[in-house]
Amino acid sequence: MNNSVIKVNNVTKAVAGRRLLDDVSFEVAEQSLVSLIGPNGAGKSTLVKIILGLDTQFEGSIVIGSKERVQYIPQLSMTDEHQLPMSVYEYIAIATNRLYSKNKQNVDFKQALIHVGVSAEKLYQSYTSLSGGERQRVAIARALLGNPTILVLDEPLAAVDYASRSGLYELIRHLQQDHKMTVLLVSHDIDSVLPLSDQVLCLNTSLHTDCHPSQFVTEGGAGSRTIHHHC
Amino acid sequence: MELLTYTFVQYAFIGGVAMAVLTGMLGPFVVQSRQSIASDMFAHVALAGIGGALLVGVGPWWGALPALIFVSTLIWWLLNSGRYSPDALAMFFLSGGLALALAFVHVAQDTVFSFENYLFGSILTLTFIDLVAILVSTSLVVVVVWYFWYPLLGATQSPRYLIPFRRTPQVVQLLFFWLLAIVVWVGIKTIGGLLIGALLVIPVLTARSWASSFKQLVVLSTLVSVFSVSLGLITALYVDLPPSSLIIGMAIGLFILQAVASSARRNKRV
Repeated sequence: MNNSVIKVNNVTKAVAGRRLLDDVSFEVAEQSLVSLIGPNGAGKSTLVKIILGLDTQFEGSIVIGSKERVQYIPQLSMTDEHQLPMSVYEYIAIATNRLYSKNKQNVDFKQALIHVGVSAEKLYQSYTSLSGGERQRVAIARALLGNPTILVLDEPLAAVDYASRSGLYELIRHLQQDHKMTVLLVSHDIDSVLPLSDQVLCLNTSLHTDCHPSQFVTEGGAGSRTIHHHC
Repeated sequence: MELLTYTFVQYAFIGGVAMAVLTGMLGPFVVQSRQSIASDMFAHVALAGIGGALLVGVGPWWGALPALIFVSTLIWWLLNSGRYSPDALAMFFLSGGLALALAFVHVAQDTVFSFENYLFGSILTLTFIDLVAILVSTSLVVVVVWYFWYPLLGATQSPRYLIPFRRTPQVVQLLFFWLLAIVVWVGIKTIGGLLIGALLVIPVLTARSWASSFKQLVVLSTLVSVFSVSLGLITALYVDLPPSSLIIGMAIGLFILQAVASSARRNKRV
């Protein structure tokens, strides 16, 4: 196993007497793609916020190397009718600093879009006119501009139509290998993440076990899969 | 047109346009961050500051500024603690500010003071000093918004852009609250505390369906705001109605016009 870049040690979080996370411990190896799966309410998003330092009210510890550059792509929403107009350029520029020239920024932004399979012409179009798959790709492009060593994605397929899903996961895997990143991917879509992940973590308040995909056995029809752990 | 040669009318136009630039520029950020009610809350807090200033014998409008900056910082801190919902905090400070203002004004027993000037504005009574303060405030807000454009855009998104291990969005949100406090401070002197919210929100609603980027939205809402204020003030010179009501009336009229035009545009596409 490579060096661990994320160490989660005995993390417990309770709100109003209810345990959202119960003694969760695991390590994420450098340059691996790790999927965190579990049903709704399992504590996945809570754990991600703790790992990212966005939630500091918990017991236990998180260890991430000081030299690591972390980028986070939150779950996208396609149903926000009150989102005001914003161009793709503005959406990307939110995450970048203004220390370099606008011309160079234009070139970098266009290259980042092409890199994730989105036409450079979309840079000045309205962000809200994009499809769910395109929005997710633009979000990935924005994150990659931060040159991350660790990329955390929360439910990247949530707002993506079924036909675009496999392509998006393949892109994430390809970028992870290409950029030599460590990717932590949160999902409840077990079928899609299994073939692409180096490691799958099954969370339901507590971590069931740390399993390799090959150690999963699935049964039942689509949408009714059951996971058995053999660790 | 002879009326335009009077100094008080000129001051009203300059102050009004400055306020329109402020509301047009910050309005999209306010609407995007779902903080529309915050301007009303800040206005009521400003009334408490005005009452406090009366008590200590300072110019009432000047007393509102430190109260606004202090309370906006307090509200930011309480919101970030995550213990209170935004609407509950808004009602707490809105009602609390008004209650405190009533108590202060009662104790001060100033027979000349009128709340009405600050609730509904008194744009035709601006002095040279008021105008200088408004123009300095406007310049400050424009420069800060220009410089922190993208951080402000990120911090006012819903959900706001989250950066791992950094408090930047929270700090920028405090800056946004201070900017809003300054806009409300200018607003209570010109259009009135109870009406400033309308100028922050209505031009944005008018412009949103005609813009494809946030920058376009800010430019368009500023134009709508300046047009509403100018038209409202010109009308006030000839019609015996309060300038504030005419300004908001113009803004609402423009909104209705664009709603009809948008609807016609959609029908044409279908």
